[in-house]
Amino acid sequence: MSTEEKPAAPRSLAEALRARDDASLAALLRSRPDLITPVPTDLTQLATRAGTRASVVRALERLDRFALQTAEALAVAADPATYDELLGLMAGDAGDPVVAGALPRALATLREQALVWGGDDRLRLVRTARELLAPAPQHPSPTGLGPTVQEAASGMSPGRIQEIVTTAGLPSTHDSVSALAALTALFTDRARMTGLLAGVPEDSLDVLRRLMWGPPYGQVTADPAPRLRRLLDRGLLLPTAPGTVVLPREVALHLREGRAHRTPEPLPPPVGAAAAHRPQLVDATAAGQAQSALATVEELLKDWDEGGPAVLRAGGLSVRDLKRTAVALDVPEPVAAFWVELAHAAGLLASDGEADERYAATPAYDEWLELPAAERWARLAEAWSAATRTAGLVGGRDAKDRTLSALGPGLDRSAAPEVRHRVLALLAELPEGTAPDAESVLARLRWERPLRGRQPEDDLRGRLARWTLSEAELLGVTGRGALSSHGRALLGLPAAEPTKSPSTGDGDGSAYERRPGSATATAPGDGHGGSDGDDGPDAGRRHPGGAAAAGPADSGPAGAGDKLPVHHVRHHAPTPPAPRSPAEQAVASAAAARLLAPLLPEPLDHVLLQADLTAVAPGPLQRPLADMLDVLADVESKGGATVYRFTPGSVRRALDAGRTASDLHAFLAAHSRTPVPQPLAYLIDDVARRHGRLRVGAASSYVRCDDDALLDEILADKRATGLGLRRLAPTVLAAQADPAVLLEGLRAMGFAPAAESAEGDVLITRAHAHRTPPRTPPQPVPEGPPVPDETLLTAALRAVRAGDLAFTAPRKPNAGADAPAAGGELPRTSSAETLATVQAAVLTGEALWIGYVNAEGAASQRVVAPIRVEGGFVTAYDHTADEVRTFPLHRITGVAELADDAT
Amino acid sequence: MNGPLIVQSDKTLLLEVDHERADDCRRAIAPFAELERAPEHIHTYRVTPLGLWNARAAGHDAEQVVDALVQYSRYPVPHALLVDIAETMDRYGRLTLSKHPAHGLVLTTTDRPVLEEVLKSKRIAPLVGARIDPDTVAVHPSERGQIKQTLLKLGWPAEDLAGYVDGEAHPIDLREDGWALRPYQKQAVENFWHGGSGVVVLPCGAGKTLVGAGAMAQARSTTLILVTNTVSARQWKHELVKRTSLTEDEIGEYSGTRKEIRPVTIATYQVLTTRRKGVYPHLELFDSRDWGLIVYDEVHLLPAPVFKFTADLQARRRLGLTATLVREDGRESDVFSLIGPKRFDAPWKEIEAQGYIAPADCVEVRVNLTDSERLAYATAEAEEKYRFCATTATKRKVTEAIVRRFAGQQILVIGQYIDQLDELGEHLGAPVIKGETSNTQREKLFDAFREGEINVLVVSKVANFSIDLPEATVAIQVSGTFGSRQEEAQRLGRVLRPKADGHQAHFYSVVARDTIDQDFAAHRQRFLAEQGYAYRIMDADELLAES
Repeated sequence: MSTEEKPAAPRSLAEALRARDDASLAALLRSRPDLITPVPTDLTQLATRAGTRASVVRALERLDRFALQTAEALAVAADPATYDELLGLMAGDAGDPVVAGALPRALATLREQALVWGGDDRLRLVRTARELLAPAPQHPSPTGLGPTVQEAASGMSPGRIQEIVTTAGLPSTHDSVSALAALTALFTDRARMTGLLAGVPEDSLDVLRRLMWGPPYGQVTADPAPRLRRLLDRGLLLPTAPGTVVLPREVALHLREGRAHRTPEPLPPPVGAAAAHRPQLVDATAAGQAQSALATVEELLKDWDEGGPAVLRAGGLSVRDLKRTAVALDVPEPVAAFWVELAHAAGLLASDGEADERYAATPAYDEWLELPAAERWARLAEAWSAATRTAGLVGGRDAKDRTLSALGPGLDRSAAPEVRHRVLALLAELPEGTAPDAESVLARLRWERPLRGRQPEDDLRGRLARWTLSEAELLGVTGRGALSSHGRALLGLPAAEPTKSPSTGDGDGSAYERRPGSATATAPGDGHGGSDGDDGPDAGRRHPGGAAAAGPADSGPAGAGDKLPVHHVRHHAPTPPAPRSPAEQAVASAAAARLLAPLLPEPLDHVLLQADLTAVAPGPLQRPLADMLDVLADVESKGGATVYRFTPGSVRRALDAGRTASDLHAFLAAHSRTPVPQPLAYLIDDVARRHGRLRVGAASSYVRCDDDALLDEILADKRATGLGLRRLAPTVLAAQADPAVLLEGLRAMGFAPAAESAEGDVLITRAHAHRTPPRTPPQPVPEGPPVPDETLLTAALRAVRAGDLAFTAPRKPNAGADAPAAGGELPRTSSAETLATVQAAVLTGEALWIGYVNAEGAASQRVVAPIRVEGGFVTAYDHTADEVRTFPLHRITGVAELADDAT
Repeated sequence: MNGPLIVQSDKTLLLEVDHERADDCRRAIAPFAELERAPEHIHTYRVTPLGLWNARAAGHDAEQVVDALVQYSRYPVPHALLVDIAETMDRYGRLTLSKHPAHGLVLTTTDRPVLEEVLKSKRIAPLVGARIDPDTVAVHPSERGQIKQTLLKLGWPAEDLAGYVDGEAHPIDLREDGWALRPYQKQAVENFWHGGSGVVVLPCGAGKTLVGAGAMAQARSTTLILVTNTVSARQWKHELVKRTSLTEDEIGEYSGTRKEIRPVTIATYQVLTTRRKGVYPHLELFDSRDWGLIVYDEVHLLPAPVFKFTADLQARRRLGLTATLVREDGRESDVFSLIGPKRFDAPWKEIEAQGYIAPADCVEVRVNLTDSERLAYATAEAEEKYRFCATTATKRKVTEAIVRRFAGQQILVIGQYIDQLDELGEHLGAPVIKGETSNTQREKLFDAFREGEINVLVVSKVANFSIDLPEATVAIQVSGTFGSRQEEAQRLGRVLRPKADGHQAHFYSVVARDTIDQDFAAHRQRFLAEQGYAYRIMDADELLAES
């Protein structure tokens, strides 16, 4: 049908690509950027690259659940398949309007990604994808379907096949091929098949029903029960290996009424609302949170101002330092890790790179401090949204079971920015002020990017999404769980127009239809909006009501060829994280800061002083005021306001910092709205009275003399300048020079000083002889080891003899075994040669000698009989291990035919 | 967005008192937040799990609490805090203690895992009996208090719906001739009666005895009153005879000297906690009558053994009276679980503003040790240091100067150390009341003081509590029990009774500078400073120079 537009249907992927227009090729390259690194020389090369295993796996992993289900269905369909066949597999015999409505879009996605090519009459899944998705004993298909009759019966004897055909009520044929074809035809014919099954007793049908949704394999004993035997006789179950039977694909599909998937999921699960708040309340709460985020980061860096914690040798912050930081910030440890990582990501905090490496604030921190609050926040939020480092991992363990530490290595997760963006975009789709139900957000993400064959606990994207929700709240991107308007602006998401919210917030719960504005945002042209703002409109189109763009189901087959205007039906998940250009981000940040600024409280220039020696700042303080108060008083409580307490210790700290009592009085009087309470004024005076009454300094030696005049003389002498003398009291000089130098100096000046001991006695100049503590004399070192005694000697001799005998006796047999070892180096052949030899061996059924390097890097030699080669793997009977194994081709160092050294 | 309240991340609430909506806000947050500090501009309330459960017990729900915070808050309230409040409040009432017609006292749950969790606790196991059904377990009636206390510690406070026994009826009426209960006293009685059991917090001198009498008149049943000492017991008796329909014969005193059990019995903590051979011989007092009401005077001083007895009295109404819930031993939660939540609380300054307690001028006088005293202080043993600096001779001079200044007014000199007091008594020519002074002698001296026959009285800590000295206008504290905050409050209370002529009361605390005396004084004053009593600090020289 697509041939209406083209003279001939494409015969290969390359031809199909060649027929596509530029826009559609651009869409392909955008969604699979690995195809153009490096840039392919021509479309043939592009097609080849699009068919490589790594690239196909990557593309499959980025499909949404329904597109993947569609691809899986194609993998179990005939090759090529028609659109109607595919629809049958997806929607079942009964049909399903929702699936039928969604299928064209899924198919278009697959086509755009060059995973499917060919017209609607000849849909072909690229071969690598087919190999990956088709059911095989090694990797069961998510469809739960088994092999076809043809595949399953390939190893059966012709006689047995004829028996089955006869039992199934078909005429016997001349050869197995036609017999199996007839059987397949019977199984795929719904009416005849129903008839056949009608003749099968209920207990046998139960067996079929158990296998129907997979896994299709079952175990049987050597002598199967009658209910199994009946099935085996009719070919409704086919043996695959001794003791194992399989439900052929055709039979399963019949039982399933044609459906390849038990539950096709054509529609993305909607993101549910957990609560709805007034948008103003959300913005205010988020702003409050933003304010406290700024305060927390500042507090963190202030805490580390005079040398932060040491950097671990492996990099990062020690668990103890993280704990201490958490206590200092009064938050749980994971939250502390988040703030530390955030400051790091924003470039406010780094290791100082000294020999004794510590963390400290960067110069950028000082610049950051000078910015207005809203811009400070925007810087943090921007850093957060783009960071690949994920604080949520801190405290966990890596693959090598090492603890992941904050600021340490191993925290980068490249999916993080994309997941963050996606989660917030989902939030943005909800009516303003609506907090999402976290589980539904996760379900939605799982739909958009299903995990292929991995365990749920390994669900990194799910964890990232959860962290995103909690971190966004901490940072004030969301308030009460709902996206704030400044958060929306920061992400470059179109602002929810306030006029729109009352009309769309009508509780229909559908997030997909309520963004008409977004469609206009991306419809004109195909600019950069396509790369970063594309989540919204696609979400809209996915909805059945809005599916017009994908065309109604019946018009799909007619019009949808490879020339589909692909750029209109873009894939929905933003595969590349789509980094915005710095300029775009700057615009978005500035917009966010503009929205946030009016919500943040103005810094105050006053505090309230109270007679219980506390001061309350009923809001954020201007920086100089806050800095001074931090020195002068201890912070007792934080939050919207700050409560300070004056203590003798805190006042002394201010005096130590060079303030005088009158400075402090003036400062308090200037910044207090009320008179300074008498006890506070008294406290300052009282501490100041005692402050500095005792003075402490360092001196190396002193000179004392009862005669002031003599000391005057010394001080006046020019030759004394080098001694660093200072008068402490009329009769005492302190000196920086040590006592010996001082004595020499004074003697040189013509004085006759005497040295004094610590107790004040005059030291006798005749120095005491210096003695060590008690010591033992050294032991003589003899030349060799001590001469052994007789017993030891005989015992040793006996041992040597016995060992010698043991070594020489088996020499001879060993000599023979040496030969293969000598020639036993791993065979080496080029990979092309290896492949050719192995493929040849599959055909001839010969055994080969291969050199193989396992996952741990250990080399071995094995004798194997290859059974098949596919997808870069050789499945072979391993004579060495006596079982069938799979060997990755790239691990096979070389092959050699066995005949050479078999004898 | 311009409310009077600021919600801090450490769950304290700052209330700006000069704000126009401050009063509304105070009313809205009082049910769940504890007033922690009430200095002149900003009052600090604290939201604790205990307070939140308290609010639940009084019938408030999380939504009201959250609403109150959001409505009056100046800045957005952190979401995490609201969630935490809701979760904490949600813990209350999952477990209920109630009377089952067949099984007696039972613990029921609306949330089975919670019951499973608490039953796993080793401390709960001995208190409960058979499992009646998956959601109900029998509780030994005698362990009603114990289980409440333990559940509270486990974080799953039980709602006690098992009710109270009425006790033996006994007619008691207030005789309001020429006087009436003050509005806040009425409110306190009402709140208490409505709540069933609990604590009323009123400043010293604000008439707590009358709240007790009011509660008795409501209960109209036999009453057991527990007080701190004999003098206080006599005063209760005197007051009750004067203010209610009770006669002398209906009121018994149960103390070291007398062991009377009458429809209204006043017992001292001391006699109850006397131990002979490891048993408490006077415990039968609790069972000697079918008491309908038990009043605990000065509940912040309740000795630990009395807590234990109280645990067995959960079926009777309990009223705690105190000036402050601050306990130096930190057992506030036991008061909550065993006697009951706080039912009424009024800031001191508020009652002062209403004229029911006298305004007080609090002054801390700092005296310098002489040089020789400083040297001696520096070398004194650690445990002797306080005694040494607290009893410095300079204090005597200062005390004399103050006494001279207020000559003619009724002056109390309060101290800790008998030597010091004896010496002061000698110099001031005033009688000294101390532990060894007989009760008759004490009452005689008090009467003389009341009558104005004596102007100056020197008392040791025996007079800390419950002595009614209506005309004392000046108190001079020369030493105290280290840093005890409630003692300071009690002592200030001595001068807070409203004065006939309405003039100001004076409270002097004489403190030795640069010694631990000063540190203790700072700690002692903290409670009062937080109640809004601003201490002036004076140098002794200044004071001596003035007089």
